[in-house]
Amino acid sequence: MLVLKQVSKSYGATAALHGLDFIVPQDRYVSLLGASGSGKTTLLRLIAGFEEPDAGRILLDDARLDGVPTHRRDIGFVFQNFALFPHLSVAENVAFGLKYRADNRVTDADEIRARSNDMLDLVGLKGLGGRAVGAISGGQKQRVALARTLVCEPRVVLLDEPLGALDANLRERMCDELRQIRARLGVSFLHVTGSETEALKMGDEVAVLSGGRISHSAAPTEVFTQPANAETARHLNAYNTFAGRVANGVLETPEGPLRLPHDSKLAEGTTAEMSVRFDRIAVLAPESASDGRMGLPARFITSEFNGSTRLCFFRALDGELIQVLDHLSAPRLPDLDEGSAYELRFDPEDAILHPQRAA
Amino acid sequence: MIQTATPATVPPAAPPAPDARHSPALKRAQRDRRRALLLLSPGVLWMLLFMVLPLLMVVYVSFWTQTTFAVSPDLTTASWEQFLGSSTYLSSIWTTLRIWVVVLAPTLLIGYPVALFIGLMVRSKTLQTALLVLCVIPFWTSFLIRVIAWRPMLGTEGAINTILMNLGLIDAPLTFLLFSEFSVVVGMTQIYCVFMVGPITFMLARIDPSILEAARDLGAGFGRIFWKIILPLSLPGVVVGAVFVSVMVLGEFATAASLSGRKVNLLGNIIVSQVGSLKWAFAAVAGVVLTVIISFIIGVLLRFVDLRKEV
Repeated sequence: MLVLKQVSKSYGATAALHGLDFIVPQDRYVSLLGASGSGKTTLLRLIAGFEEPDAGRILLDDARLDGVPTHRRDIGFVFQNFALFPHLSVAENVAFGLKYRADNRVTDADEIRARSNDMLDLVGLKGLGGRAVGAISGGQKQRVALARTLVCEPRVVLLDEPLGALDANLRERMCDELRQIRARLGVSFLHVTGSETEALKMGDEVAVLSGGRISHSAAPTEVFTQPANAETARHLNAYNTFAGRVANGVLETPEGPLRLPHDSKLAEGTTAEMSVRFDRIAVLAPESASDGRMGLPARFITSEFNGSTRLCFFRALDGELIQVLDHLSAPRLPDLDEGSAYELRFDPEDAILHPQRAA
Repeated sequence: MIQTATPATVPPAAPPAPDARHSPALKRAQRDRRRALLLLSPGVLWMLLFMVLPLLMVVYVSFWTQTTFAVSPDLTTASWEQFLGSSTYLSSIWTTLRIWVVVLAPTLLIGYPVALFIGLMVRSKTLQTALLVLCVIPFWTSFLIRVIAWRPMLGTEGAINTILMNLGLIDAPLTFLLFSEFSVVVGMTQIYCVFMVGPITFMLARIDPSILEAARDLGAGFGRIFWKIILPLSLPGVVVGAVFVSVMVLGEFATAASLSGRKVNLLGNIIVSQVGSLKWAFAAVAGVVLTVIISFIIGVLLRFVDLRKEV
């Protein structure tokens, strides 16, 4: 089990990580979702030991990890650009760790060959050991990088946007295989990505990194349906968030007043944020919205056709963007004219209310 | 493609079918080839006029007949026989090779760590450039001054001897410091070291830092990483540096002339003195021998690395 306690890291005046607490359990696929520049890579580099935290502790199986030199940490790191040794063959790349590591070096050439070959088989590169690294495809390089790390049997494997350098087709296939390989080896993977679909698809557990902290860490379904806070919701690329203050039993926001869920226990005058999923918002033409119920006035800007879905963009009164998703298998939106005004409504029970943390 | 289209009875060397000759792809290839030749021609012409032709001339002159005051184009092998039969000249070949090896070693041993520092340890590109410029600053003074400046350093009354005497480490001045093979090696090392530093630095600076991190992550300590990753990846730089240093040291004469007190006679010194006494045929022989040696050494060095692959 990998535990990070109150880890902070700054570069000059900018804080990349700020009192971060995080746990990677044993034998799990954990995906770490964060926007670019959110400190994802920094977090991995701290765990791997390429950099040291300014404050806080990193523990692996209850032993202190920070301060230990990288090459004695027993952590595997799969680089985004693969970082294969260009002057070595595929087999030599894979054997590098076993042959040259400072601890538990394997000296028996037969064993090295056997273990490297087994690992190449596992990642689906049987018989390619003799190839030069420059003579294989991007997907194969990815597999070599993975095999090179896994053959050392690290206690935790860190993957830094491992699919980023692959084309979409290959990415789909690797997703599947990464999960299978991990399950077979029983080692924990920490997979960093900027794509919410990748994070939700891959992880047994999804952690969202935001503002230098883990804002939510739970099973993918929970993170997606019940994001713990507005930052998490924003990272999922499926929620509109509204910030406001409770007054007269509604949430007064710059976009307009919003009804609160009936079980909300927020006192008058407290600030809160509300997240509403893209696909839970209904769009009404102004003439059919005269029944006096509460809705948000907004202007339709444009829509994006994504095959099975359509994503519509609306501009609220204060200029904020509101997104509405229509599943085209069961379309529920009226015909929309660009530039026209509409009313957006949603059931308050579908909204998720986040009381603002006391800063 | 053309081959499969032509009947089997036509030999392969036959011109392509008329329709193939008019294919746009083929025309384009021809145009490209013509343009490439055009671009190449000034360089080729230059090399022919100013390198190949003079080289052939030198070989030709080496077979001319040399008398004390004149040289005539009657072909003879006399100069060659004299050169190859004289122990003085043969030993100068040996001296040249020895000095070359002895200078190559310290330029590498001193140059590599410097390159390692500039290319790998210094992260800022600006600082890297600044440090490289610093290495080149000695070149702002003239070659001869740089060489002669070693005399007040190494002489019997020179800086090093004075300091050692004042410290009480020696009683009498060390005489081997100046006008010896030692001073020649010191002088050459100082001058040519930077030619080793440059190429190695560029090679090291090109190493992707994540490769080193990967090696470290896989458990290798610094020593292992150096021997297994850094050194092999910087080898092309070492070879290029060695080629630079070799070419210059093998053709050297000025450092030996001014720092050895005439004790060290390199092939270059022989050429200079023979030209000075107008013995053109004999100088040409020494020139041919030197050219052959340098070509051979460069050929061997380039065996170690494929420079075409390093771009």
